Amino acid sequence: MGPNLSFQNPSALAWLIPLAGILIALYLLRMRRRDMRVPATFLWPARTEEVRANALIQRLRFSWLLILQLLALALAVLAFAGPQIKQRGLTGEATVFVIDASASMGATDVSPNRFEDAKNQVRDAIRSAKAGDRIAVIEAGPSPRVIVALSNDAGREILALDKLRRYDSEVDVGGALRLGSALVGSLESGRIVLLSDGDFEAIKDFAPGKAAVVYRKIGVRGDNLAISAFGTTDTPAGRQLYCAITNTGNVPMEAPVTITADGHLIDSEKATVAPGKTWGKTLSAPATAKVLEVNLDVKDTLAADNYAVTIANPGASLHVLLLTKGNIFLERALALDPRVTLDKTTELPAALAPYDLVVFDGIPEKPVPSRGVLTLGQAGPNSPVTARGEIDKPQFVSTSDTPLMKGVDLQDVYIERAQRVEAKAEGETVMLGNKGPLVVLSRGSQRHVYVAFEPLKSDLPLQASFPIFIANALDFLSGEASSNILGVKAGASFAIPTKSTVHVESPDGTGLNVEPTGGNAVIRSLDTFGHYRLSVGSQKKDVYASLRSERESDVRPVDNVSLGGGQVKAVPAPMRLTDFWRPLGLILLLVLSGEWWLFARRS
Amino acid sequence: MLTSSFVLSPAEMRILEGLRLNPRGSFPGRVRGERLTRRKGISIEFADYREYSEGDDLRHLDWNVLARLETPIMKTYRDEEDLAVHLLLDASPSMEFGEPTKLSAAVRLAAAMGLIGLAGGDAVYPRNLGRREAPSAPLRGRASSMRLMTWASSMAGGESRALAESLREFANSSARAGLVIVFSDGLDPDAPTALRMLRGRGHEVFFLQVLSDIELDPDLEGDLRLLDAETGAPVEITANGMALADYRRRLTEHNQAIADTMLRIGGRYALVRPGDSVSEIARDVWKREGWVRT
Repeated sequence: MGPNLSFQNPSALAWLIPLAGILIALYLLRMRRRDMRVPATFLWPARTEEVRANALIQRLRFSWLLILQLLALALAVLAFAGPQIKQRGLTGEATVFVIDASASMGATDVSPNRFEDAKNQVRDAIRSAKAGDRIAVIEAGPSPRVIVALSNDAGREILALDKLRRYDSEVDVGGALRLGSALVGSLESGRIVLLSDGDFEAIKDFAPGKAAVVYRKIGVRGDNLAISAFGTTDTPAGRQLYCAITNTGNVPMEAPVTITADGHLIDSEKATVAPGKTWGKTLSAPATAKVLEVNLDVKDTLAADNYAVTIANPGASLHVLLLTKGNIFLERALALDPRVTLDKTTELPAALAPYDLVVFDGIPEKPVPSRGVLTLGQAGPNSPVTARGEIDKPQFVSTSDTPLMKGVDLQDVYIERAQRVEAKAEGETVMLGNKGPLVVLSRGSQRHVYVAFEPLKSDLPLQASFPIFIANALDFLSGEASSNILGVKAGASFAIPTKSTVHVESPDGTGLNVEPTGGNAVIRSLDTFGHYRLSVGSQKKDVYASLRSERESDVRPVDNVSLGGGQVKAVPAPMRLTDFWRPLGLILLLVLSGEWWLFARRS
Repeated sequence: MLTSSFVLSPAEMRILEGLRLNPRGSFPGRVRGERLTRRKGISIEFADYREYSEGDDLRHLDWNVLARLETPIMKTYRDEEDLAVHLLLDASPSMEFGEPTKLSAAVRLAAAMGLIGLAGGDAVYPRNLGRREAPSAPLRGRASSMRLMTWASSMAGGESRALAESLREFANSSARAGLVIVFSDGLDPDAPTALRMLRGRGHEVFFLQVLSDIELDPDLEGDLRLLDAETGAPVEITANGMALADYRRRLTEHNQAIADTMLRIGGRYALVRPGDSVSEIARDVWKREGWVRT
């Protein structure tokens, strides 16, 4: 134990010397023996055991009873001093295990994979936890969820681990940590244990409170070959298919790359990629092909990024740039659409990548080369309106019967402040307030939807009409209705407007029914990559889920992770102070039992 | 002092009636008795042949040999004399323990042995070991039974001399060599040495050790100061299992030392308890082990 031993009440140790002195003094008292006349004494051994003392002082003799009683006294005093030892162990008095359920945790560099290894470690920690330790388990998935709340029911906690799922997608580790902080952040003895390979973005907005954060690194190496890019682009020479394979590991790797179009092989080639390098290929895509898939036939640590799919229908995917200072309602509403791949920023980049749609949320609109623009609150030169100042608390008057406003009821919406605008010639007012137009659209070469108020300056985001309006806007701005062939990121949730039950058939053949609520069936079960078949009433939809994440494909475990602005190092197991008086009490009982046995035997 | 003048019951006396002491050796007697001695004398027990010399009694000439060999050969016969039987009764304070006391048992056994001796025509010398007393005249013949009983019934304990010391004193006395029968608890560490000394003085020794349950299986408990009944020497003990086991081991070793000594000096030894009856001891010990003969 050595330096790892400490005492809660060290002053109790001072009692040892006086109490031991009293005990020894009792042994110094001479015993008064009963006289007995016997025929002869030469046969009797001069064997005396000082088990009772009640007379005058005598010389102290060696006695096992005295030794045992001194030992018992020392143990009792030691126990009262509240000894504590430092031990390594994942669990504390209140521990939240946050298990990274991202795609990279499916890496098989540890057996059977990182995710299962993390679960096993948590299982072992729960089994070895002390009786009073409270434990919670949080799944760090795309939407973090508490699998088991703080409890000391080890059986239930272990059973709950089976409910954990892994996703072939990026996950919200920050959200999971914030959930953990909400559970134990107020406890001095709280501990948040993150079991992860560290392959996630630096987490900024996280504060553990009083709880300690422990990062347990899972994984040992990162030899991986990943499909880093796969898509189509229209060129004067026709539709071109591009594919990039990146070696994210530290050793050269090679693998056959097989590309199919609507299930038919169109290209196969062996790619040899040096560590950190990317192998690329461009080829002509069949003009009529709708579903283009690429497979890497390689046994690397991560299988999820050895498959990618792209849908050759331009409306099947929408690359959306959201310029906002922060609007979670809008982000969620946009992400609900399965076609949307969302990027978020606060300022318009100087060199803008080709986006299908750009959304200006409270940020002054600027000209952008996209297919459509959604402007919320701040009109720009390309807007279908001309700004004339501001108005307070405009009232709803009417809406026109257009697909954009279908299912949208804004009668009771409270708007704090809006722009006073006039519609330009190409502008079509679809919602009118008492102080001017509130929603205006245009159908030129670049489709445009202008909303005169910022959503966060109204209670529109709290209305059921808000996601419907956003879905309608996306349909209008992309110029396409929802496609029957969709390409999505695995783990993403999306909504299908329907009143029928949606049956989802997974790539492994298992089925699942999703009931609609409020006119939408929210599909959340596309956890793994592959081809899903959705039955929506009589309509069939093919959904292809793939990973496509550079961050997840780089499966090299990270030693230090950035959490809440600080670096957290990976530790084998943290130290914790453990009360040590119970074992001492047990030993004390044993010593007292031995002392009594010896006393009974000798007296 | 024993209350009854007859320490033995009539039934016990009847059992003892036909018994005779059976020492291994023979001893010179003072008066003609019933015991053969090594000395040649007049009896019907043939001993040897020797050549005739002048003055020999012609009644003992072997006429058959003379007729055949024409050589006068004399037949010799073993002499018959009495046996000196010393009854040494230990009356030390340690003999007063037990229920009945070891002393009372020893007195009865001594009286029984004395009766056997008297019946066999032996010279019986009863002697109280703890007391310094002048040598007394022997008891002879059945007519002395009453005197023997009187001696026995007048026996009282409380003599404070140790066994070994008394035995040594007896050995050094001018007592006539013969059969020494010791009735004692033998609780003296020097007892084996003293018994060897008796043999050295020409006695044959029978040792009847009387030990009560107090000695054989002491029931002591607690922290005690044991006082020696004879010397008053104290020993402090804690009477626990270990101490009692130690005591029993030492007692066994002591008794074994006495038994081994008796074996070496050609004597006889037996351990009896005060509760054993005279008739049982006569049957199971004396007769069976050849202390007496019929």
